[in-house]
Amino acid sequence: MSELLEFAASEPLTLGVELELQLLTTRDYDLTRGASDLLCALKHDPDHGDVKLEITESMIEINTAPRSAVDAIAEDLDVMREALVLQCARNNIAICGGGTHPFHAWPERRISPGDRYKNTYERYGYLSKQFTVFGQHIHIGCASADEAVWLTQALGPYVPFFIALSASSPYVDGVDTFFQSARLNAVSAFPLSGQCPVLDDWDDFLAHYAFLYDCGIVGSIKDLYWDVRPKPEYGTVEIRVCDTPLSIVRAAALAALAQCLGRFLLRVRPPFDPARALLVARYNKFQACRYGLDAQISCPEQRRQFPLRERLGALLDNLREEAEALGCQRWLDALRQALVAGPSDADWLRERLAAHRNLHDVVRDSAERFCDVRTLG
Amino acid sequence: MIESVFSYLRDAWNGLQGFLFFLPPFPERIDTLALLSLVLVVGLLVAEWLRSHWQWPRVLGYVVAGTVFGPPLLGWIKVDILTQIRPFADAAHGLLLLEAGRRLDLRWLAHNRDLLRGTVSDIALSFLAIFLFALLLVGLSPAWAAATAAVTMASAPAVVLLVVEESRAQGQVTERVMLYSSLSAAASFVVFIIVLGVVHAYQSGSWAHSLTHPLWAGGGAYAIGWAVAQLTLRIAGRLPKRSLAQVFVLVAMALLAVGIARMLAVPVFLTLFLMGVLLSLRDEAKTLSYTSLPEGHWMLAIILFVVVGASLPWREFTWLTGLQAIGLLLVRALAKTLSMALAGGELPLNKRLLAGLGIQPLSATAVFMAFEISRLYPEIGGPALLLAFFAAAIMDIAGPVLCRFALVRAGETPSEQETGGNGA
Repeated sequence: MSELLEFAASEPLTLGVELELQLLTTRDYDLTRGASDLLCALKHDPDHGDVKLEITESMIEINTAPRSAVDAIAEDLDVMREALVLQCARNNIAICGGGTHPFHAWPERRISPGDRYKNTYERYGYLSKQFTVFGQHIHIGCASADEAVWLTQALGPYVPFFIALSASSPYVDGVDTFFQSARLNAVSAFPLSGQCPVLDDWDDFLAHYAFLYDCGIVGSIKDLYWDVRPKPEYGTVEIRVCDTPLSIVRAAALAALAQCLGRFLLRVRPPFDPARALLVARYNKFQACRYGLDAQISCPEQRRQFPLRERLGALLDNLREEAEALGCQRWLDALRQALVAGPSDADWLRERLAAHRNLHDVVRDSAERFCDVRTLG
Repeated sequence: MIESVFSYLRDAWNGLQGFLFFLPPFPERIDTLALLSLVLVVGLLVAEWLRSHWQWPRVLGYVVAGTVFGPPLLGWIKVDILTQIRPFADAAHGLLLLEAGRRLDLRWLAHNRDLLRGTVSDIALSFLAIFLFALLLVGLSPAWAAATAAVTMASAPAVVLLVVEESRAQGQVTERVMLYSSLSAAASFVVFIIVLGVVHAYQSGSWAHSLTHPLWAGGGAYAIGWAVAQLTLRIAGRLPKRSLAQVFVLVAMALLAVGIARMLAVPVFLTLFLMGVLLSLRDEAKTLSYTSLPEGHWMLAIILFVVVGASLPWREFTWLTGLQAIGLLLVRALAKTLSMALAGGELPLNKRLLAGLGIQPLSATAVFMAFEISRLYPEIGGPALLLAFFAAAIMDIAGPVLCRFALVRAGETPSEQETGGNGA
């Protein structure tokens, strides 16, 4: 087991982004079975990353190559987006972002081919099909395993910001959930979802993992569905709470925030009490999912609440120095613009519903927005 | 034996009329509605039995029920009864073709030229192979060989649609099977109209009709389909999308198109199919795209395929014609799979071959369409199309099974594990 969990050190603060995308029928913009057919015929440049199957056939995942600069991440994402849009047109299907499909019927989803997905389906049953939700994962490179464990926990209090900025899943089963991000409710059904426990260092993580392994609770690191988790084989820390945004630009901007934040935390190493942070983590996460940028989040140090919007604005100001050093200021500016002027992705979807009065056209607009290279944020 | 039972009943009834003045005369014919319900229930029971025991497509069950209980075997459904319920079957067929047309997305051809290649080779190779077979091996005249080829070259979009819906298939093979079957049906309509004109001219010596009739039939169907589709979109645009009111408008407008086509002696099925295609093509605002026919069209499908089964000409079966029909189907199958294989494209060869298998259905409804047009030409009778009819009869049994097999082998239907043994 220790061999399996060897931490492959990576270049510090390199980035990698995974985006899970929705495959739709152009007939009525419901989800459709199309991933393996798409992958079979897709021609893309592997220098820009990879395209993979996900748990059901209505999902496809794009992974960028590890990059030092956000601009390169944005380019990778855009090149793969373009390849996918082209191939989807050839297969007469559409593709879009967003954390949930607003009206699909989960029993209709098909499990992707392969033993891994078959085993997942056998293990989790219908949860696997309900897991047809779409997230963005951001990897941040770490120089050492201990650094990764520390960063995993230090990023915890910032999870609500990532949720609020990416929230794009207000609709589930054809109804408005009143949540800005309802996707994470599907994730929370899994037994090892949520926050990472308090861990001192890599050895402590290994001991915790060994305990879970011996108890038969995990079989691999992939069974840990934590909001933020170390990813030993990549030498990274992985932020897993974001909905897939409606545009590539927002996805790149979120990667910029992760990189700046990682640099800030590792450089400054601000004092941090992980045990105390855990006490409010679930509440703050709920607030961000439910209210998005309008959430109120609790601060365990000051024992009071703050508007998330205010805290996020202050954070973006604080990260200016990091952004300049990393050359990604314009991406943070895009986030600030979204924070000030809106609408958020979830609000944009609600606006489209108000205009169309049916969710089919809402998804159609999402697909058009995803295809439009000029779409900002 | 049934006659003697009826005779006893009739005598008893007549005797009772002396006492019970309110009794009507003995009902010599079964009421149409009662008959419809019996046809529905019997078709449904046979289909469900075949489905649950042998996993056969339900469409096949309806055809088998019609064949067993119709004139070919037991004769419980008599010819005059078939005539009574034929309008219901025609309505069902029309609505299914309308739906097949609505699902035909011609824009896809612009995005993927491989499909255009596949379509053209399917249409050309199928027609050519069947024509040569009928001409050289069966010995039909060139005109009748062409007519036979025109009728049998096409797949059966209504059968394909029902098999796809029933098996809940999704994927590239499914989409291609639906596309190719619709396009080949459209081509078959056009080719048959042209061929009929030629045949008519050949027999009557009047070449004027050979030009004007195809124009009247094809152009008329297009004009009616276009006008009614435009009207439908205008009216439906005033109603909420996916509303029941839109469904009513869709069905009512389809009936309007049927009515106009019948008044002008324009092929009804071609009109409805073109109306469906134009509804899909012209609906840029997606006014009706999200509106589906109600589940009731399955009930209509039962009537349609029971009638198809009951109308199959098994009584006129001879071994020679049977062998010729099998030969025709083999040649046709070879042409279709070969055209898919040769068309190339990014779909792997095994999946292209499965698409070729999926478009094998050839429904007797295709022959009904042929008869619909050929009624305009008294000199053209059923015997001339007997080979086509037998080929259709065989494929009415084998076609749905082949289509379903292709979709299952392509991995595009839900597995037993996924449906929890509760597959449709």
